[in-house]
Amino acid sequence: MKRPAGTIALAALLLAALALGALACGSAGFGWGTNGELLMLRLPRVLAALAAGLALGLGGANQQGVFRNPLADPGLTGVFGGALLGIALLLAGATEFTWNHRWALPTAAFGGALATSAALVWLGRGRSTAKLLLTGLGLNAFTAAGTLLIAARFPEARDILINGAAGDWLGTATLELAWLPILGCVLAALLLLTQASALDRLALGEDMAFCLGTDVTQTRHRGVLLTALAAGAAICLVGQVAFIGLLAPHLARALVGPRHRAMLPLAGLLGAGLLLLADTLGRSLWPQTPISAAAMTALLGAPAFVWIAARRHE
Amino acid sequence: MSEARLESLRLSVDLAGRTVLDGIALTVSAGEVVAVVGANGAGKTTLLRACAGLLPEATGELRLGEIDPRRTAPAKLASLRAYAPQHPTSAWDYTLTELGTLAPSLAEYVQWQERFGLRALAARKLSELSGGERKVAHLSLTFSALGDAYGKALLLDEPTTALDLCRAELVARAIRASAQAGAAVLVATHDLAWARTCDRVLVLSEGRLVAAGPPATALTAELVHATWGGA
Repeated sequence: MKRPAGTIALAALLLAALALGALACGSAGFGWGTNGELLMLRLPRVLAALAAGLALGLGGANQQGVFRNPLADPGLTGVFGGALLGIALLLAGATEFTWNHRWALPTAAFGGALATSAALVWLGRGRSTAKLLLTGLGLNAFTAAGTLLIAARFPEARDILINGAAGDWLGTATLELAWLPILGCVLAALLLLTQASALDRLALGEDMAFCLGTDVTQTRHRGVLLTALAAGAAICLVGQVAFIGLLAPHLARALVGPRHRAMLPLAGLLGAGLLLLADTLGRSLWPQTPISAAAMTALLGAPAFVWIAARRHE
Repeated sequence: MSEARLESLRLSVDLAGRTVLDGIALTVSAGEVVAVVGANGAGKTTLLRACAGLLPEATGELRLGEIDPRRTAPAKLASLRAYAPQHPTSAWDYTLTELGTLAPSLAEYVQWQERFGLRALAARKLSELSGGERKVAHLSLTFSALGDAYGKALLLDEPTTALDLCRAELVARAIRASAQAGAAVLVATHDLAWARTCDRVLVLSEGRLVAAGPPATALTAELVHATWGGA
């Protein structure tokens, strides 16, 4: 028998150790500085990576649960793309306003994520995996094109949008800017945990879940809303990152089994750990030419994912 | 005769512009096992899904005891009827014990698992079972969700398809036991021999009810010939 509680506790311990290590690593060498000034410099970035990873891991697990599909990931199905397009539209329309109001950026990201998340459910529903993924790919391509169009037309937004599309925003995190999205990530994560028993039953199909007493429509609506909240908040911290939402739930399922009560919290912890690890390696390995968290995530995550996929079909 | 638990009048369902069920009138009383038979595509599954409350767009009258299943909250409805689909699926590879945690009562599920001869397989994953074993595992979930059968409706879509003779007999006994405990049972089936052992039979053809009544009067040789075309 697997022991979910023990595995989750162990993951939490490892994550805490990783966070301490991440606070000590950086271009200035190993250590926290004589008066802890390096600690204060790195703290916002580490907190942002932890919160975003938590939201991404849980958001991915939730989307997979709602669609009953192990290949769903907000990064691949256009939800992050929509969040970034929301930010791009806001920057194009009201640059001045955006920087004067701290809530404007997260709200725009949430709006964009909600629109694509709802479109995905509306257009991609049905039994076919291919239909969902193709719809997601289409939405992803469309939102990316929209963002690039805005980046090309509005020079003042160009750099920030290109960096966002590359998942390279973590370096700009300050506590002043990041606290609202961090709060959004944690809130989304906590609310997503309450979906556990509904997602368990949804695995048996919408008919069977309904007949066992689950309000399927409500579960789906909450899933769409909370995935959008998680994606919108996380993207404000990191930019666009694929793979965490795909990889973390897979690993969690392999470690504690598919029941969501254990799998969801572990997917969150693993997501936080993966993103923090990717970001820390990306900025520490080559301090002069740091690699974005998204690139590092794909570099580590893609081979692991291919390995898992290959093993599953044996 | 006890009171009717499941009742419909002029029940019709259109799916994608096609009339799948057309004016069905049925009554299933507590303690009764009623079989629904008919060729493929006759509307058996749609009838069961409509009765289970899965088709809110169904028109006509539909009562489950005091309520209309189309306009009742899922949790309340779940306490009044249990349903098993023809092809149960699971997106995730649960073990049988994990599957049991989705039932309202794990203890009850374990009892059904034992009655259906799955005890030794409890630690196995669904992917490690045969098709028939999987089907019975999901039926354990449905029977345990029914709980105390008295006054409830049990809706089963081809419960014995894919089962070996021994397990099919176990399921047939469980169906009869649920009825004796006071459930109104409606079962879609292709097994005409088993249908003849039921209290009543409904014969569907192209969405219409072409015969209803005790097996001896409903399943006449002429009707079987007309419905199944020379079977």
